[in-house]
Amino acid sequence: MTTNTARADVSPTVDDQRKQSPDEEVPQLIGIGATARLLRPVWPHLIACATFSAVAAAAGAVPFVAIAEISRVLVTEGTEAASATVWAWAGAGAACAWLRLLLLGLSTHVGHKADTQLVRHLRLRIVRHLGVVPLGWFRAVGSGRVKKAVNEDLEAMHELVAHAVGGLVGAVTSILVGVGYLVSVDWRMALVTLAVPALGVLSYRWGMRSLSAQIPRLLAAESQISAASVEYVDGISVVKTFGGGGGGRVLDRFADAVREHVAAHNAWLAGVRASSMLNRALGSELTVLAVVLAAGLGFVGAGWLRFPDVLPFLVVGIGLPTSFGPVLHGAHGVRMARVAAGSIERLLAQEPLPEPANPRRPTGHRVELDRVTFSYDGVSNAVEEISAVCEPGTVTAIVGPSGAGKSTLASLVPRFYDVTGGAIRIGGVDVRQMSSATLLSSMSLVFQDVVLLRDTVRENIRIGRPDATHEEVLQAAKAAQVHDVIERLPHGYDTMLGTGESGLSGGEQQRLTIARAILSGAPIVILDEATASLDPDSEAAVQQALTELVAGRTVLVIAHRLHTITAADQILVLDRGRLVETGTHQELLARNGLYARMWRAQRNGDNA
Amino acid sequence: MIRKIYRLWPQRGLLLRIWSLTAALAVLQGLLLGLLVPILRALLRPEPDFAAATPWLVAGAVGLVLHQVLFVLSTPVEFGAGTKLAAQLRHHLMRQVTTLPLGWFTTERKAEFARTVTSVVGTLAPLTVLVGGPAITGVVLPLTVTAVTFAVDWRLALVLLGTLPLAVLALRRSRRIVAEVSVDMEVAGNEVAGRTIEFGQAQPVLRAAGHGSTGGARMRAALDDHCGRSLRALDRMLFPDLSYSGIVMAGYVLVLVLALQFLFTGTLSAPDTVALLVLVVRFLESLGGMIDHASGIGAMDYLADRVEEVRHVPALPRAARPVRRVDRADIEFSDVTFRYERGRPALSGVSFRCRPGTTTALVGPSGSGKTTVIRLIARFFDVDSGSVRVGGVDVRDLDHDVLLGEIAIVFQDVYLFDTTIEENLRVARPDATDADLAAAARAARLDEVLDRLPDGWRTRVGEGGHQLSGGERQRVSIARAFLKRARVVLVDEAASALDPENESAVNDAIAALAEDPERTVIVIAHRPTTLTSADQVIALDAGRVVETGTPAELRDTGGTFARIYHQYENARSWRISS
Ligand SMILES: Nc1ncnc2c1ncn2[C@@H]1O[C@H](COP(=O)(O)OP(=O)(O)OP(=O)(O)O)[C@@H](O)[C@H]1O
Ligand SMILES: Nc1ncnc2c1ncn2[C@@H]1O[C@H](COP(=O)(O)OP(=O)(O)OP(=O)(O)O)[C@@H](O)[C@H]1O
Ligand SMILES: [Mg+2]
Ligand SMILES: [Mg+2]
Repeated sequence: MTTNTARADVSPTVDDQRKQSPDEEVPQLIGIGATARLLRPVWPHLIACATFSAVAAAAGAVPFVAIAEISRVLVTEGTEAASATVWAWAGAGAACAWLRLLLLGLSTHVGHKADTQLVRHLRLRIVRHLGVVPLGWFRAVGSGRVKKAVNEDLEAMHELVAHAVGGLVGAVTSILVGVGYLVSVDWRMALVTLAVPALGVLSYRWGMRSLSAQIPRLLAAESQISAASVEYVDGISVVKTFGGGGGGRVLDRFADAVREHVAAHNAWLAGVRASSMLNRALGSELTVLAVVLAAGLGFVGAGWLRFPDVLPFLVVGIGLPTSFGPVLHGAHGVRMARVAAGSIERLLAQEPLPEPANPRRPTGHRVELDRVTFSYDGVSNAVEEISAVCEPGTVTAIVGPSGAGKSTLASLVPRFYDVTGGAIRIGGVDVRQMSSATLLSSMSLVFQDVVLLRDTVRENIRIGRPDATHEEVLQAAKAAQVHDVIERLPHGYDTMLGTGESGLSGGEQQRLTIARAILSGAPIVILDEATASLDPDSEAAVQQALTELVAGRTVLVIAHRLHTITAADQILVLDRGRLVETGTHQELLARNGLYARMWRAQRNGDNA
Repeated sequence: MIRKIYRLWPQRGLLLRIWSLTAALAVLQGLLLGLLVPILRALLRPEPDFAAATPWLVAGAVGLVLHQVLFVLSTPVEFGAGTKLAAQLRHHLMRQVTTLPLGWFTTERKAEFARTVTSVVGTLAPLTVLVGGPAITGVVLPLTVTAVTFAVDWRLALVLLGTLPLAVLALRRSRRIVAEVSVDMEVAGNEVAGRTIEFGQAQPVLRAAGHGSTGGARMRAALDDHCGRSLRALDRMLFPDLSYSGIVMAGYVLVLVLALQFLFTGTLSAPDTVALLVLVVRFLESLGGMIDHASGIGAMDYLADRVEEVRHVPALPRAARPVRRVDRADIEFSDVTFRYERGRPALSGVSFRCRPGTTTALVGPSGSGKTTVIRLIARFFDVDSGSVRVGGVDVRDLDHDVLLGEIAIVFQDVYLFDTTIEENLRVARPDATDADLAAAARAARLDEVLDRLPDGWRTRVGEGGHQLSGGERQRVSIARAFLKRARVVLVDEAASALDPENESAVNDAIAALAEDPERTVIVIAHRPTTLTSADQVIALDAGRVVETGTPAELRDTGGTFARIYHQYENARSWRISS
């Protein structure tokens, strides 16, 4: 019964993956709320940063106010009478200038702290999340996504936390303080002065409205550019040998993406041409200067104002547009961060592999496939209704034409994916009812694509059992026939691997993973074409190592070279996802079916 | 600095126009601000003298209109410039990268280049416009204001002038540190990012060990280390930033105090003091505002270096007069020695010859240099000594495009583009007809796969081809090579992931290729099947040719080939059993 519920939970995830994949990269703005959620752990820091920044901005306004007041007092009261007030203002201006500097430093420091902590926090969350998503997801689409999230997206968030928030709050504060001061001088003039940059902002916002519509297009073009260039260099040898020297179709794709990017940008520009021109004209300090002078002279002429009272507007008012700049740019930073936050959120929202509430432990290591069915796309089944039992102490071989579903079947046992029908049981317990740690620690996996960590040889071998002693590591390496090779490395077992020039050939790396599997001592062993592309020398050594590994365990082995599995206790022959034959080598030859045909094909080839 | 940024762009006209206009506008703006002096002088008299102010007001109005018209008209050009520059530089870099020797493309450099073309250029181009303009204004405007001040009071003008070089020095330092810090942060960031990705890939093993979601102490240590390092790095930028603002502030205090001093000692009139203070505020705001761009300028510096690095990689040397025709598909190595960037020679003293219409099998243990031979034929690298000839011409004298046009390779490590199967094939021959595609697919046994997959030719293969099975991927790669119908076909471990039936079918197809008397085929393989059907076998060991001959000759000599051959026989008798 529980099995059924689990199945119902599982299928949509797998389904989504395939559907998502073609257009998953289309980035989108997410709500402020979601961005704020991501920022939650650094709220206190952000608030402190904003507060310091606000006070700094307020203090920063004082030197300008001081000059304005000094000018006003000088003209209205005469030089001699004003002396005391003037010096007082000068002192206040100087003091506040230094205060601002101090507070600015504090605010920036706190912002940086918030930033680094946020990055650390988000990375930890991503890491923790990677530990629970289905393994198959990472295999299929994950690595590129994770790369983008931990590189570019986190960078954009950094921009927001370290700069945009403080900058935005500071700019808003200086505008408020400046306007407040001007209102106290003369509210009518203040209104006129403020009207200019305010109109500028309105026109900017009006223009940016169409940006929101263009952002998905722009970002899509950007990710196209990125995808095309990555593909171009990753596949450079293919590009060059097949695309002609010019790069051919792949380069065309890149060029198209760049063109599309320019086109999208131009489309947006065309939409905002008028508003951006208006915004620039209104946001210029010369415009404010002209308006202040004209209005000021008018007001003076009308007798509403004495000319000295125009001076504060010339000193403080002209500076207002400068403060609007950061407000607008800060808003842009926030927008980009929201896009980045969206893609991080989506990564974190990737459905975790369902873990059982009450995990059960298997009794024994009998692997039972019970009408196992699985589909990658929800349409056609990659494996269908496969039933078999693999007893401990026996070898089960899986053979069949390429694309028959062998690797798929093998990856269902460690739950890289969850079955879409039927069940896989280990020691009588459904794999979905075991905790992943229990499940995975019960098996050793040796796949064709070797994953080495950038770490020493020793750590690479004992990754699955970090408490293993050096002696045990040595034993495993010897059993895997790779000890001699390691001894020849510059630093022996302490040589760093995975840095590109590790100096191990493909066959040697494969033997290293076999040493890993031997050391882990797991009772179930799954081998997917562990020796397929090796030369005879390496192959012989690896096969020696495998003999060591399989003794007394429950072994599942996938092989194209049929001669390696003729002694298997049972052979499952797959074709187009279905189990078409089962039996020993002799039985299958006697049946004269697919297996016998494959066997003859290989014999003929080898004796040619 | 400005020069460095300027030089970076392949087409500089646009940038030159924008920047000169910006500078001219800044001068005009400074002069217009300067008009405030006579205006304020007239208006700040005890009795405001409007008549005296009028000519200046009129001049100001004219200047203002001129300024605003230019300013506004330049807006769309400037807004579009960032993307345009980015597009130009991207095209340029991509074209350049096609001229680099394939040996340049290590894993790290590939990642680096992709980053340069996308995010580095994407950040740098808008910065050039967004920061370049204000930076020019930030220097030119204060200079103009200083000049105007000289006309009123030279003592205060000297103070302003004195502030400038100090500010520039501080800014320069800040820029340098930003650039340094950027490098640090990049290194630290890449390290952690790399660890995270690796962590994802190693999930099966890690989960088995119970470290699936913590990453263990190592991961946590890396994160903490990165956190501490980037905080220190960021704070390093704080001091130069603050010291710049400090210099500007000191300028402010000094000018204010001196101006008041001059005023009270009677050497400066009240209206002039006021007018100068108003001007000085403009000076300081414009100069002080530069600090908002300091990190942008530092970032530009750093980013520009990154682009320069890529631009300065030497291209594959081109012959002065490259040969543009290959007459015969004849391949000849004479006394070739080659070593990769580090390590011992991968090939030494290798000589052999392959004639059109024949198949040559390369054999030898792992690491003996087989793949290297293939790379040298396609000139992914240049030999250190000796020569590789195709059609009798040294490959270094051939036009590289022409050479590559003659060659089809099935690579040991299959690479597929994340698109449809059809597109992956068409890469080899964009103008192929459906019949050509079908024929190539049939020969590579891909037709069976296409029939089986619901979307057929339109099946998307996924990132790196991972939505196909191992053998399906390999067959796409073989079909791609067949489709090209090149005269030189180089096959590196073609059938390693194929089942017996498909393997022998593919091997037959490769053998059929060699029946064309115009075509030269070289295969690397370990199976006796392929070896025995070859016309010639070349056995390599540790980068040297140890044997050459027909398979029949070599099998009985007791040499390397015979050893490999028999080892295979041994391996065949090996069995996995419990
Ligand atoms: N990640 C995936 N997403 C979608 N389809 C997939 C994915 N991986 C494999 N397939 C498809 O599922 C089918 C079975 O693939 P599988 O890798 O199990 O074959 P296989 O028997 O291991 O073949 P080979 O011998 O070539 O490795 C194939 O048709 C393949 O195209
Ligand atoms: N890109 C590279 N950079 C540095 N050294 C390399 C590089 N590629 C190969 N080598 C080294 O050059 C030597 C020859 O390698 P090559 O790849 O030609 O061997 P191979 O005969 O094809 O082996 P295999 O059967 O494993 O594919 C080896 O010692 C290898 O370590
Ligand atoms: Mg497979
Ligand atoms: Mg090779």
